[in-house]
Amino acid sequence: MFKTVFTVLIVLLFAGGALATGRGLTPLPDKPSAPAFELRDADGNVHQLSDYKGSVIIVNFWATWCPPCRAEMPSMQRAWEQLREEGIKMLAIDVGEDEDAIFEFTASYPVEFPLLLDTDSSVSEAWDVKGLPTTFVVDQWGRKVYRAVGGREWDAPDLMEKVRALKQVP
Amino acid sequence: MKFLIAVLLPLFWMGLSAASVTMEVGEKTGLRTWQWNHDGVSLRLVQRLPDQTRAYLQGRGFPAEIANELATSCFFGSMFRNDGSLPLDFDLTTWKVVHKGKKSQLLVREYWKQRLQDQVVPQAARIALNWSLMPTVQHFQPGDYNWGMTVYGLPPGESFDLHLKILLDGKPVEATLSGLQCAPEKLN
Repeated sequence: MFKTVFTVLIVLLFAGGALATGRGLTPLPDKPSAPAFELRDADGNVHQLSDYKGSVIIVNFWATWCPPCRAEMPSMQRAWEQLREEGIKMLAIDVGEDEDAIFEFTASYPVEFPLLLDTDSSVSEAWDVKGLPTTFVVDQWGRKVYRAVGGREWDAPDLMEKVRALKQVP
Repeated sequence: MKFLIAVLLPLFWMGLSAASVTMEVGEKTGLRTWQWNHDGVSLRLVQRLPDQTRAYLQGRGFPAEIANELATSCFFGSMFRNDGSLPLDFDLTTWKVVHKGKKSQLLVREYWKQRLQDQVVPQAARIALNWSLMPTVQHFQPGDYNWGMTVYGLPPGESFDLHLKILLDGKPVEATLSGLQCAPEKLN
């Protein structure tokens, strides 16, 4: 009894301070349309949002100099390794940097999903991003349905389930 | 056991519900960190040495002279988190810096955009600065957070009080963090 009470209290006491990342996905009640974009990736390939029509997409806004952005990248890669088999797409849009910054970054953080370049930050502004990282989950009809401000553990089961559940919506 | 519960329970509830301000000095860095907590919301302000900010800005492409102007304007690394259960809104333009009895505002993104508009600063550097600063206006649902620099417009080493204001579930919460200090030019 004593040990149980003591353990529970200690865990509860320190739980708040130990939260390194954010939690959860916030539903966007009005499900605004995701603004169209046409952006190059670090290899020069052009990606348009319309290329992904009909798919659920995780769209992450980030920059290489942003510590929480870097911190969540490995979990995004792990999530991507599971979700890509299920037809769910993932894009990370770098705000304000060039190919050199991306190449340097991927030497330390190898990721396989597309890293797009929003060099003048116009797409980030159109998507109403205020701070980095910010991530949206876009449904198959091109609507922003969830938002996360700050980093997340993207391969956490509760997050993955919310994303997967969008595929089931008729 | 009763004694332990009597000690730990209040600590637990303090962590969850009471407002508090703490200050600590980094063992390795010597830099000071202040943290305000209120109902699961926390704001952590970490001193930044002017040299840290100079290096960061010049690394992003700022000319040395302009980087120096910014670096000596009292930058803090800031971590704003909503680990509580209510939605949170803030607008940094409503916060006040009180220095030697005078009130002023934080130098937010819009200030720096205006201040730098006629300066020779590469676009990539302007964008990096803009996004490196804490958003001026933000909405956090539970679980959200931002990191970003906040700027207080004072010379290195100056002390000041910060009056902050947030809305928690639409209701105003105000607090004063007293005795904050801009990082000095050099640590002893």
